[in-house]
Amino acid sequence: MRKRIFSRKAQIQIGETISVIFVFFILLLIGFVFYAKVLKGNAAIESDEMAQLRSVEIAQRAMFLPELQCSSDVTDSKNCIDKLKIESAKDIMRSKEVEYFDIFGFAKIKIAHIYPSNPEEEIYSRPLSEFKNKFSTNVPVSIYDPVAREYGFGLVSIETYS
Amino acid sequence: MEILGLAIVVVLLLLAATFVIRFLLVKKSPEYRKSFVSAELASGMINTLLKTTSQSCSKASMKDLLQDCATTQSLVCENGQGSCDYFNEAANGILLQTLNKWNYKYQFTAAVGQESTFVDIGSKCISEKKSETYVVPSAISIEVKLDICG
Repeated sequence: MRKRIFSRKAQIQIGETISVIFVFFILLLIGFVFYAKVLKGNAAIESDEMAQLRSVEIAQRAMFLPELQCSSDVTDSKNCIDKLKIESAKDIMRSKEVEYFDIFGFAKIKIAHIYPSNPEEEIYSRPLSEFKNKFSTNVPVSIYDPVAREYGFGLVSIETYS
Repeated sequence: MEILGLAIVVVLLLLAATFVIRFLLVKKSPEYRKSFVSAELASGMINTLLKTTSQSCSKASMKDLLQDCATTQSLVCENGQGSCDYFNEAANGILLQTLNKWNYKYQFTAAVGQESTFVDIGSKCISEKKSETYVVPSAISIEVKLDICG
């Protein structure tokens, strides 16, 4: 009789231990799932950061491209695009696609004339059909006409894909 | 024995809660692009706008038009407009096709000194803003300011 009581008590204690261990492992599992989610989230944030930095880098490269920039000694070449260079730059970029892909990657670069006229010219186009991120950056620029010696108001639109 | 188990569970829960607060509330994606764009936009807009040559106003630049508007107002453009009206119309058109189109709220002003504002386009920013000021050198100093809200 006494042996039976001890055996029952031991069974209850084993049951308790098993349930405590079970709860402990459940909590541990929840912890791991959460940790994995946080790691995944961090990786996504880092990837977003990289895409943003790449977008800024491409915008800067496009803005200081000698193929487009004003080159006269008397004009301030910062944020200035030579109107006569645009056509030639388009042709060069089309004929040397591989070289320019190394500079811009998957991107689209357009120049829009805002004042006085309103045409838009695409100088580089290598978009991605399926992408995770797409950033558009618009930078105001002066479009210098060296023949008429006039400055127009334009925009360089840079779309980057990743 | 059970108390020890309970204590371990509570400690684990506390650790988990600290972890959640640390990672979910503190970590935010930095916006490198946004800060670059707003910094570049305000200065680029104001510099480019002032450099632009007017289409039918004796090839005067927008800066020249502002100077004339703030001083003698002697310039009469080919379409009969004065320098102030011509500048306002051209600047308004450019801002409509750029900042308005991208849904930015802004205020563009040109003033002589602190009080006499003679160009005022857009509306005043209520909270945060990115400002860029350009002083046009002339007999009287003209302060051109662009505030981009947000």
